[in-house]
Amino acid sequence: MDSEIQRQGSRNGYHGDQQSLRSRQVSSRVSNQNYPQFNWSSTPAEDDVEGSSEMPRDLRSSPLHMALKRAVRQVQQMQVPVVSSRESWKRNKAKSLRKLKDNTREFLYLFALWSKSLQKIGGNFGGGVQSFFLFLRFLVVLNFVSFLLIAGFVLIPSIVFRSVGTGLVNSTGPEECMEYDPNPQGLVLFYNYFLDLLSGTGFMEYSYMFYGYYNNTMVDDTNFSYNIPLAYLFTAVFYFAFCLIFIIARMGTAARVAVATGGSAVGNYSMIVFTSWDYGCLGDRATKLKQKNIHYRLQVRGDLSYLAGWRTLRKKWWRFLIRVTCFQMNLSPTSFLFLCQVDLEEEMIKKRAASLTTNQKVVLYALRVFMCLVAFGLIIGAFYGIFLATEFSQEKSGKEGILGLIFEYLPSIVITAGNFLVPLMCDQIALIERYAPSTTVIVALLRAVFLRLVSLGVLLFTLWRQITCDGNTESAECKLCEYNYNFYPCWETRVGQEMYKLTLFDLLINIAVLVLVEFPRRMVVDNWSNKLAQWVGRQEFVVSSNVLGLVYGQTVVWTGALFCPLLPLINTVKFIILFYCKRITLFNNCRPALKTFRSTTSTFFFLVVLLFGWSLATVVMVYSLAEIRPSMGCGPFRFFPNMWSIVPRSFSSLSETTEEFLFFIGSQAFSIPLFVLFCVVMCYFIALASVYGKSVALLRAQLKLEGRDKQFLVKQIEKLSRQLQIPQHTAGAGQ
Amino acid sequence: MKIFIVPSIISHRLQTISVSAVFLSLQDCTFFTRKEILRLHGRYHELAPHLVPMDYTNDPDCKLPLALIVNMPELKENPFRNRIVESFSEDGMGNLSFNEFVDMFSVLSETASRELKAIYAFKIYDFNVDNYLCKEDLEKTLNRLTKEELTPEEVELVCQKSIEEADLDGDNKLSFADFENMITRAPDFLSTFHIRI
Repeated sequence: MDSEIQRQGSRNGYHGDQQSLRSRQVSSRVSNQNYPQFNWSSTPAEDDVEGSSEMPRDLRSSPLHMALKRAVRQVQQMQVPVVSSRESWKRNKAKSLRKLKDNTREFLYLFALWSKSLQKIGGNFGGGVQSFFLFLRFLVVLNFVSFLLIAGFVLIPSIVFRSVGTGLVNSTGPEECMEYDPNPQGLVLFYNYFLDLLSGTGFMEYSYMFYGYYNNTMVDDTNFSYNIPLAYLFTAVFYFAFCLIFIIARMGTAARVAVATGGSAVGNYSMIVFTSWDYGCLGDRATKLKQKNIHYRLQVRGDLSYLAGWRTLRKKWWRFLIRVTCFQMNLSPTSFLFLCQVDLEEEMIKKRAASLTTNQKVVLYALRVFMCLVAFGLIIGAFYGIFLATEFSQEKSGKEGILGLIFEYLPSIVITAGNFLVPLMCDQIALIERYAPSTTVIVALLRAVFLRLVSLGVLLFTLWRQITCDGNTESAECKLCEYNYNFYPCWETRVGQEMYKLTLFDLLINIAVLVLVEFPRRMVVDNWSNKLAQWVGRQEFVVSSNVLGLVYGQTVVWTGALFCPLLPLINTVKFIILFYCKRITLFNNCRPALKTFRSTTSTFFFLVVLLFGWSLATVVMVYSLAEIRPSMGCGPFRFFPNMWSIVPRSFSSLSETTEEFLFFIGSQAFSIPLFVLFCVVMCYFIALASVYGKSVALLRAQLKLEGRDKQFLVKQIEKLSRQLQIPQHTAGAGQ
Repeated sequence: MKIFIVPSIISHRLQTISVSAVFLSLQDCTFFTRKEILRLHGRYHELAPHLVPMDYTNDPDCKLPLALIVNMPELKENPFRNRIVESFSEDGMGNLSFNEFVDMFSVLSETASRELKAIYAFKIYDFNVDNYLCKEDLEKTLNRLTKEELTPEEVELVCQKSIEEADLDGDNKLSFADFENMITRAPDFLSTFHIRI
């Protein structure tokens, strides 16, 4: 980039050409020495070294006026260099590649969902809220693409080859294990269809929705063969790998921005002044709030720097603390701190913490440990509740009517209630613990993530206990088929049904909260001018808990995808509905945030939490594939000892060389050197990264030192000039 | 050995380009695609339908005054709207031709490079156009940011602190090097210095 732009290199040449191009008066600011200038005369010399793809990029990034840029482009296009054919081929290739990139970008723009909505949200509510909706859009796209994958490789072949195809393995197994009759007997009332839709039983159970409907068949033609169980397995595995790659790619782009800016001091004056105004801010109301926000941030800094007496300081600090606690009634500490970005508050607390006596410190630490145990106890209590609810629900399954539906949904209800109540109580505990604000946020977030993901894990663990009789395959119920065939003739479908119910319940709860809580609250606050109503106020959009809800929903889908192949499609529809619901509530019921939320690091953080969910789902999938015996009465893996064993079995049908090659890849002779190579490559990149970081720090220090050198030299010059003037003075006076 | 043919006079050639060539040249000089440039032309046209020709074959030399451009919904609420438009105009008075209009939104778009944005941000905040951000420039910036709700002492304090923090060469005002060094460490700069159109 610097080859065509030189600092002050030939300023004179630039001046002269400028005059000839524009006959208007050029203001002095154009010919300044503060930023890189375009070196007019160096254009012919440098052009042969650069490919033509570099030219447009340099031109776009050069800070010239448009007329100049277009003139330069004209010149560069009219230059006809006589180059070798290889060079011209390279240039043409580069040009066509760039055209392809531009066309792809234009094409992808067509598919950008909801861009106008997102722009409006970002302009009115800031970057933090917008990052939530961007995350939601990313999940919609991820789920839809995964559904296309599953449909292409599992669903459509199953539909097409349903009647054709031969069974893979001859039926061997005890009669009792193969009993599976999901179709309802006798007269079915109409409202049963509705109940079945909600709980995944009845007509929905034996359909493409769940694992049990897929067949253990293989189509074998002369030129074409399709092994459905193998396709099912590989699609599931590839789905997980694909999601991981997608998430990591997105994390890469988010991390690049975060790393490029480096760890800098938060909220110092110059940054507040120059970077706090969001140019994308739209609307009168948002603008006024933005101004209040900047005023507030500067004032908080200003208060402490003023040091206008400790009394005034303390009074202002108490006012601030009261405002903080009031806000905490509406916000969780999470959003509160992210919105504040005040490191001075940290300093205050650190000062106060340092000024405690040893006695007080001991008391504080003991209190913190105790509160931590209390919080942990609450979370364990929630887990136990989920465990009991799941066991109860599984025992009572098969009951009819509305009561039966409630029993079916009992685990979902308990999980949702736990996810709502426990963070509330943990927030109150955090007030007593009196950590520094940033620590409070991190602790609250960790607790919330732990609660959400492990509660799902507890549910799955309870199901596993019931399916495999506590892992004890010798017990009476599980002896015959290695799973509890009385309760679970088709256990995979049952697990899929649980995940389906969780997803559906999540959506219903969101809509119910929207209709029954948020709209009435807004109406009460707007129309009732009571002090209480004003104190409660309109709600604020809490980004962190909404994001955790999304991560939870996505983890449920990942866990259930192996057992319910259509779950990604249902999740796509659910997230689209959620987008519109959240947007409606945002614009109608929420007030804009008084303080802003840093959006650059938050995207990265959302994706990290999503990866936690992914790893939980991966553990579940790997365990189900490798350890538990598939049901004998249903599904594509019946009569296999475990789901993975279809892979070695199909290998035997491959050609000799392919088999040998694959065995070689799997063997230690190949994988250990590969692993060692990966370690070496990773060490190299880590070393490179640390070297770059060190050189950046060195350059920054050098920049500071040069400034001081300049100051020193200026002072020396002043001193010398004074020394030279004084003798002249005395000489003049003497005469 | 490379031989180049350099044209002697360039400016009058610009008038003979056809419409698509005009937009193609804009596409090479900005961060927009052809479709976006067409859309921007529509927006530019609707600001003053009787002034702006639909046909850009002869590269007409029409400029829209500052007052029309700052009424756009994207710029209306921005406290720096006048300075933004002035920084991109050639005569410094805020009259933008279509090329400069596209240039302005290109620099403020998502894909513009950080260095380019820093250059123009410096131009925008430099109210007295002397290539330095001195105290008066900062005071004006601050007053526009907070709608003059800070007391004079607070304004004085913030300006002083800002210059202290960012000034590296000790001349009590911020040159472009100081400004760029400070702004590259600000993580929000790219996301806030961004107008979507």
